[in-house]
Amino acid sequence: MDSYTKYLVDNVLSEDKTVTYRLLSRALKVHANTAKQMLYEFHLSQNAKRPGTVHATYLVYGVKKGGNIPKGANEDVEMASSPPYAESVTEVVQSYALSLITEESLKDALAGYEEVSSIHVYSVAPHATKDMGLLADVANEVLSLSTAKDEISVPITNPYVRTRERRGAGLKAAAAPSVPAAKQQAKAPASKAASAASPAEIKEESKAEPGQAIAKAENITKKSTPALKRGGSSGIMAAFSKAAAKPKKDVKTKAEKPSAEDTTMALSDDGEDDEEVEMLKSKPRSTAGTKTKKEREEELRRMMDDDDDDQEQKEEEEEEEEEEEQVKSEKAESPEPEPMEEEPTTGSVEEEKSEVVESSNNGRRRGKRKVMRKKQIMDEQGYLVTIQEPGWESFSEDEAPPPRPATKPKIAVPAPVASKGKKGAAAKGGQGSIMSFFSKKA
Amino acid sequence: MVTLEEVAGLGLLQKPPSNGDAPEPLQRPESNYRPLSTFVLPKERQYQQQFADIYFLRLTKIKPAVEEAAIAAWKNTKIGGEKAKKVERVLDVRQGELCWVAGTVYMDMPLKPSILEDVAKDRWISAPTTLDHYYSEGGQDSVMLEDDSGRIKLVGEAIKNYFLVTGCIIAVLGTENANGEMEVIDLKFADLPPQPARWSLSKPSPRPKDEDVEMTDSPSSGSKKIALVSGLEFSGTSTAYAAELNLLLEFLLGEALDPSVQSELSQISRLIIAGNSIAKQEDAHHGTASDNTKKPHTKKYGYDASSYNPLPSQLLDTFMSELLPTMPVTLLPGTNDPANASYPQQPIHAAMFPKSRTYGGLPQAGEDAEPGWLDMVTNPWEGEVEGWRMLGTGGQNLDDICKYVDSADRLGMMEAMCRWRCSAPTAPDTLWAYPFQDDEPFVMKECPHLYFVGSQPEFGTKVIEGSEGQMVRLVMVPSFAATKEIVLIDTETLDVTRVKISA
Repeated sequence: MDSYTKYLVDNVLSEDKTVTYRLLSRALKVHANTAKQMLYEFHLSQNAKRPGTVHATYLVYGVKKGGNIPKGANEDVEMASSPPYAESVTEVVQSYALSLITEESLKDALAGYEEVSSIHVYSVAPHATKDMGLLADVANEVLSLSTAKDEISVPITNPYVRTRERRGAGLKAAAAPSVPAAKQQAKAPASKAASAASPAEIKEESKAEPGQAIAKAENITKKSTPALKRGGSSGIMAAFSKAAAKPKKDVKTKAEKPSAEDTTMALSDDGEDDEEVEMLKSKPRSTAGTKTKKEREEELRRMMDDDDDDQEQKEEEEEEEEEEEQVKSEKAESPEPEPMEEEPTTGSVEEEKSEVVESSNNGRRRGKRKVMRKKQIMDEQGYLVTIQEPGWESFSEDEAPPPRPATKPKIAVPAPVASKGKKGAAAKGGQGSIMSFFSKKA
Repeated sequence: MVTLEEVAGLGLLQKPPSNGDAPEPLQRPESNYRPLSTFVLPKERQYQQQFADIYFLRLTKIKPAVEEAAIAAWKNTKIGGEKAKKVERVLDVRQGELCWVAGTVYMDMPLKPSILEDVAKDRWISAPTTLDHYYSEGGQDSVMLEDDSGRIKLVGEAIKNYFLVTGCIIAVLGTENANGEMEVIDLKFADLPPQPARWSLSKPSPRPKDEDVEMTDSPSSGSKKIALVSGLEFSGTSTAYAAELNLLLEFLLGEALDPSVQSELSQISRLIIAGNSIAKQEDAHHGTASDNTKKPHTKKYGYDASSYNPLPSQLLDTFMSELLPTMPVTLLPGTNDPANASYPQQPIHAAMFPKSRTYGGLPQAGEDAEPGWLDMVTNPWEGEVEGWRMLGTGGQNLDDICKYVDSADRLGMMEAMCRWRCSAPTAPDTLWAYPFQDDEPFVMKECPHLYFVGSQPEFGTKVIEGSEGQMVRLVMVPSFAATKEIVLIDTETLDVTRVKISA
């Protein structure tokens, strides 16, 4: 007994199921056309043994009689001369009919055909099929069987088919480092290496160029993509991204000013980087590490396209955000040290101007600092006016870095967490900081 | 007449081959495809503007063509010794003078929904109209011609010979009578716009004769085809035509039927779904007041997420994901589809199709990017397929025009749209539309070779010709749910065949 006969006997006769050619083709892994012939043979042989045991449905394709009868007798030629919108008639077109017909009504149905181009057994069942809707249930079963897109489920292949790369979770993980990389690229024109390594990631994030993305989709499997990115970010890319992130941190601890904004910018992965890059391009700068505090403040101020009010507010919020930032930046794979103890940073002397520390013990700092406060008053005309006025505010916060000369280069400090990317701190010192970073890495 | 004896032993009605060698695999030809972004709206758009600009833009764009046609026709027209002269503005029409003027048609119909009425009655949220038609049998409808200067009522037998709807641009010849109405003697349209040559945007792919001899020898000769289907209406509740949908899938996949037909079917190089892929939501949960009183405890403000049935879009997704490995698909949204309701409808979001979307294009790809294998496009949509310029809609534009005209001649209305050079004249009056400011994309700048309209009650096609030799193939794609019919277009001749599926 052939394997298909056994399958059909089991399913149709014993289990009382309807089997379509698609189901048979997938169950036995044979071509659909072969499956159709198997059904035919099974139907024939079973009914030869005992007539009426198996009922078939047929799929018939051809031209039906009367299908092409014109609906009106008018001609198109007449249309042109008559007023444009007299009743227009549809053209007569070739019309095919694809019908699913039960064995019982096959004879009558065929009589309605003028020409049959194709006929085959569609399904066999132990009972006469009354409701064709039941065959839809079989089709659902077929769906669950055909998971692989092989020749059986795709009988006509298309050599031009293309898909795009899935943007999965792995990509998101890689996203964070890639953004600082983009920034760095703009900041330090010297970092050619970084930019060469990064275009793929940057494109992913912002505007993917289709050709490239498609090429990727073909070559790179889903699994390997994130891996590749990881590799990228832990290498030279990471170095740069961290170096980029670090100086910002630096600014923050020194000036306690606009870094809140800055850090969030570094973290945002919503494609803002384009705009940012543009802005940065407009005023090229040297390596971030060599900036003086003033310059940087100035630049950040301009970058933030905000008026001073906001900036002052930032200053206020800064304190609360400081801790958050640290958590955030750790997430962004540019880990920060735990509160400054092991990694002393340059506490700025200038800061004293706006900040008076009254006591500093038990890891807490208390004091007063100068802030700009917003005040809303109603003027004589009844308008609400917001004014800014300087004021002193007492604060108490976690230990800040002990004051140190701001100019002291940090190269010599061997950071315990060096491998984690603490180097950035060194970078801020200025001279040759980037180089020192590389040498350590190596 | 075919008998059982004739088909016995035919094709696959025989024993399976004992040697078990697989039939020669078939391949589909490449689909040459270049969609245009004519109807793509900017991502950040606002709706603060007035709609009047659409009419203004349309008038400025089409008026020159209308006037040209009018000059050609009426240049030397004399009636009763009086020569017809051109009048620039509608308000310049003088009583008793034979003249002609171009402007926008406005249909004043008592049944037509009116924003003024809504505002007057303090209804700020307008529901989609439920009327079958706007025209009224009593003859209370009137036709106006307007431009930026004013409006004049049109009367006369001549206007009854034409389809006229709000928003189309015409020129009328006549005189103003004592009632201040214009007695129309004749009227003119812009007629078909200039038609680009075939392959004006894309290049034909070289025939793979040299490198692929096998292909040309295989029986899969004949020209490529495009399948057009509309109104698949996948439903979450009804399985009334699930069997037909399955047959359609098997047909397009090339799995059904025998090798000779399969090789014919392998020439179908693209499927275009023209709207209404998802069935209309049953009104069980929202709407009638009786519903609300029945179960007041479940009444919620805003959108009730629990009433959402994801099954229809899942079914559509499955359907497309089965088909996509073998055939590229262009998907236009329609009335019932999950896209914006106003014209032009923007592409259905890829998130609706978790299985199929891997075949889609990249969301931020630029205009020159290669279109996705599954291309979710706007409605209306314009593009070049196999070199032919195509314009297609989900059917709302034609359905809305039909509400103005007491006629079942939908093909005639399609033709009229082409001759008006406007694919959605009734937008924004009765067909909801985006308030365009700078461009009026519904104006047909270039004449399509194929103009299809989806979700129609029945199939219909014809070819219309323009004065400069333009030929437009009009196709009404019937709703699959209603008729179980699909349309195949030959890409060399633009000949149409229809396939009816029954189960």
